[in-house]
Amino acid sequence: MTFYLRRLAFYAITLWAAISLNFLIPRLLPGDPFTILLAKLQRSGGISPSVENSIRLLLGAVEDQTLWEQYVHYWGNLFRGDLGVSVTQFPTPVTELIAGALPWTIGLVGTATVISFVLGIGLGALAGWKRGTWVDSLIPSTTMMQSLPYFWVALLLIFLFSVTLGWFPIIGAYDVFKFDAPEWSWAFVGSVIYHAFLPALTIVISAVGGWLLGMRNMMVSTLSEDYITTAEAKGLRPRRIFMTYAVRNAAMPSLAGFGVSLGFVVAGSLVMEQVFTYPGVGKLMIQAVRNNDYALMQGVFLVITLAVLAALFIMDLIYGFIDPRTRSNNG
Amino acid sequence: MIRGKIRGRWLAAAAALTSVTLLAAGCSGSGEGGEGGDNTSAPAAEGQATDRELVVWAGSQTPITPNFNPYNPAAVLHLANGGIYEPLFVYNKIADVPPTPMLGLEWEWNEEGTELTVKLREGVQWNDGEPFTAEDVVYSFTNETAKPPYLKDAVAKDDTTVVFSFDDPSFTNEFAMLGSTLIVPKHVFAEHEKDSGEDADGNALTGLVAWANAENPVGTGPYMVNTTSAAAYTAKANPNYWGGEPKVASLRYVGIDSNQSAEDLLTTGQIDWATMFVPDPDRITASGVYGYLNTPKDPTVLYTCANEDRGCEGEQTDVAVRQALNLAVDRGTINEKAFVGLAKTVSPTYALLGRDDKWIADGMPAEAPQAADPAAAAKVLEDAGYTKDADGFYGKDGKAVELTLASPDGWTDYNNAAKLIEEQAREAGLKVVATTISEAEYGDQRFSGKFELLVGGVVGTSIADPYQIYRDWFTGDFTQDVGTSLGSGEWNFSRYDNPEVNEAVKTASQTNDEAVKKEAYAVVQEHLVEDLPFIPLVVNATQTFYNQKDYTGWPTEEDPYAFPPAWENPSSGLVLGKIAGAGS
Repeated sequence: MTFYLRRLAFYAITLWAAISLNFLIPRLLPGDPFTILLAKLQRSGGISPSVENSIRLLLGAVEDQTLWEQYVHYWGNLFRGDLGVSVTQFPTPVTELIAGALPWTIGLVGTATVISFVLGIGLGALAGWKRGTWVDSLIPSTTMMQSLPYFWVALLLIFLFSVTLGWFPIIGAYDVFKFDAPEWSWAFVGSVIYHAFLPALTIVISAVGGWLLGMRNMMVSTLSEDYITTAEAKGLRPRRIFMTYAVRNAAMPSLAGFGVSLGFVVAGSLVMEQVFTYPGVGKLMIQAVRNNDYALMQGVFLVITLAVLAALFIMDLIYGFIDPRTRSNNG
Repeated sequence: MIRGKIRGRWLAAAAALTSVTLLAAGCSGSGEGGEGGDNTSAPAAEGQATDRELVVWAGSQTPITPNFNPYNPAAVLHLANGGIYEPLFVYNKIADVPPTPMLGLEWEWNEEGTELTVKLREGVQWNDGEPFTAEDVVYSFTNETAKPPYLKDAVAKDDTTVVFSFDDPSFTNEFAMLGSTLIVPKHVFAEHEKDSGEDADGNALTGLVAWANAENPVGTGPYMVNTTSAAAYTAKANPNYWGGEPKVASLRYVGIDSNQSAEDLLTTGQIDWATMFVPDPDRITASGVYGYLNTPKDPTVLYTCANEDRGCEGEQTDVAVRQALNLAVDRGTINEKAFVGLAKTVSPTYALLGRDDKWIADGMPAEAPQAADPAAAAKVLEDAGYTKDADGFYGKDGKAVELTLASPDGWTDYNNAAKLIEEQAREAGLKVVATTISEAEYGDQRFSGKFELLVGGVVGTSIADPYQIYRDWFTGDFTQDVGTSLGSGEWNFSRYDNPEVNEAVKTASQTNDEAVKKEAYAVVQEHLVEDLPFIPLVVNATQTFYNQKDYTGWPTEEDPYAFPPAWENPSSGLVLGKIAGAGS
């Protein structure tokens, strides 16, 4: 029991540190939202005095509070579930922005992560099992695909399938030229799936290689274990050895990695969202950082931190459960 | 004398049907002649009505938050600025022609420039059916959020006349008053003056800015909001528009996150109006579907922190170093390589060539030299006592000049220009080190003055007169000491502060007499060309693409009736009122 209590305390402290850093780091960034906004508006033409006046009103008097007061204020708001109001998307509350982006991110990036994990583990296991055959040739090609700049793969896919062939859409999570807003209809769901295909493909292409390589190598080393030889000597069917003896053990480390990457799903995929104009959390983060939109930045970081910590915590619990050794180290 | 000229303006505005010689906007009596069109119903569309939805990309990125409050510049959507709310007049940024009358019909200054009388259009309705009155105009200039500091009072003399009064001669604020202030309905906005929200720090925020105006915004413009979502918003034609019901029944403004996507959408014919940088415009226009207009307006320069007295540090504070650098840059190559040949030649006087030519004083170079002259640069440095060291770099007292030239990371045209300048300066024996910094650092450096050289932009003036640049970017009143951030409306990043320039700009502000202004500008130009607080490079391209197969009525090379960008406030509204389906 003390194991779980200790882990709980550890996570509580981590959470506090993460949230405090989350508060502090945006405030250490150079520049303030006012000058950035001015510069941005200036790039698209002149600024009348009334406009400047209203920007000042909007952005508030930054100097009014000490850092400590702001920090206390920040915690107070957190406990009320109030993450503030975004300046760039005024007057939408940050919670609303994140709530609007999360389903898309989890739906697309989550699905793509699961697909690439399953595909990578499956192919990796196969490649390890049948090493030395044609299956091994998968490894250099997928590793190469993974090393290609992600951005470039996405642009290439768009150029090929969307612009040249016209098979797939260029932007959006659904047909923004046809639907005025998301709705519940078969046509809309179809549009969502159709629009998700290319973005998901880029994620799978860039992620599958890593899982595949890791799994294949684990598989190879597992296959040289004594218990595999024993199983073979017992005359078990190869299928049973493959599934129950080899894959199950070889997949353990990958499973831990999978937990963490599921946590990071919430962060979205910065590049994919930018290239495909896909609504998601990653884009909110980019916008927030570019415009020194503190409230939005903190909100997004908070959600990511919580998701990653939660994923780690769950993995910890699962590991403690399935592998008693992790519970008892150092007494 | 002045009186007579002003009288002329009244007539001109009223009788523009016959193409009389019209008066230059924002300056004194005479100017280029121009076809005014039917001034009493200016933006009327000619052509077929069409149900084909016009898809616009005005630069919005997703997610789009519905906000049609023109007093919230950070969040307001483009349709509001011109499409829903209209100004009194729309000034043309690309030609020296009189402004198009919108809600105003004509205006008159008193002799001293302290009183401005504006006649308003009759019979205009807000899209909720209420009549538009002089009271709305007064409110739009005097509500707490919008009231400009230089305005003393605004009074509705009768239903269609508003009189503005000022403490000081205010000829130079003409554009800000008539051309950039949007008119809002008092009966709607007055109810939201006490709205509350939260500002960026979570503090209470009250007043008009706190209001999103997201539902059925009430304006006089050609379009009304129909639907909104995080990905796009749509608008439908205002059937009671004073200029006649717009011919294009509906609009769709989409959010697009990257220029590449927008370019792809143009290539595949999915958007109809977009303004953005496209390195190879021919690829898009080749099919004939899209028309294309490049309207360069904003100069790109090197900001130099030039004034030691106001705290600038670095060798660029020596005018000889700036002059040498000015001679060392090869503008032709910079345009060709960094701006893919789309930028236009800049004038060291900051007059926009082709539009403001009359303001360039005799004896001033109209165009900045396009080729580098390293020999002349070397001579300037040697005359100022610099000597070449073993590495071939000029310096003083055994220390080579070394300047840091920064540009914001990811602004590739600027980054490339900086790299080119680094090479070109080396040819002339000047050590310039090009680096990139984050946008936030960039903003910080130029506002605080803690930089040596930055690649930067100057906002081109909205009217055919460089005055605004001279005042806001080069006078001592519009700057602060290094370390103090520039305040509202101050753009003098170089900390340049020359009493003669300050004086000349002041003189120009107090008159509407072209001759007096020209004389004052000559003084300003002489100093700017000599002192080079900014080193001018090029005038940046503004590229607009529009679907000319399905729609007519766009501003074109032949008829540049308005500055064409889809994001432009407020001229995009004028364009929206004028376009129609192409007959077929």
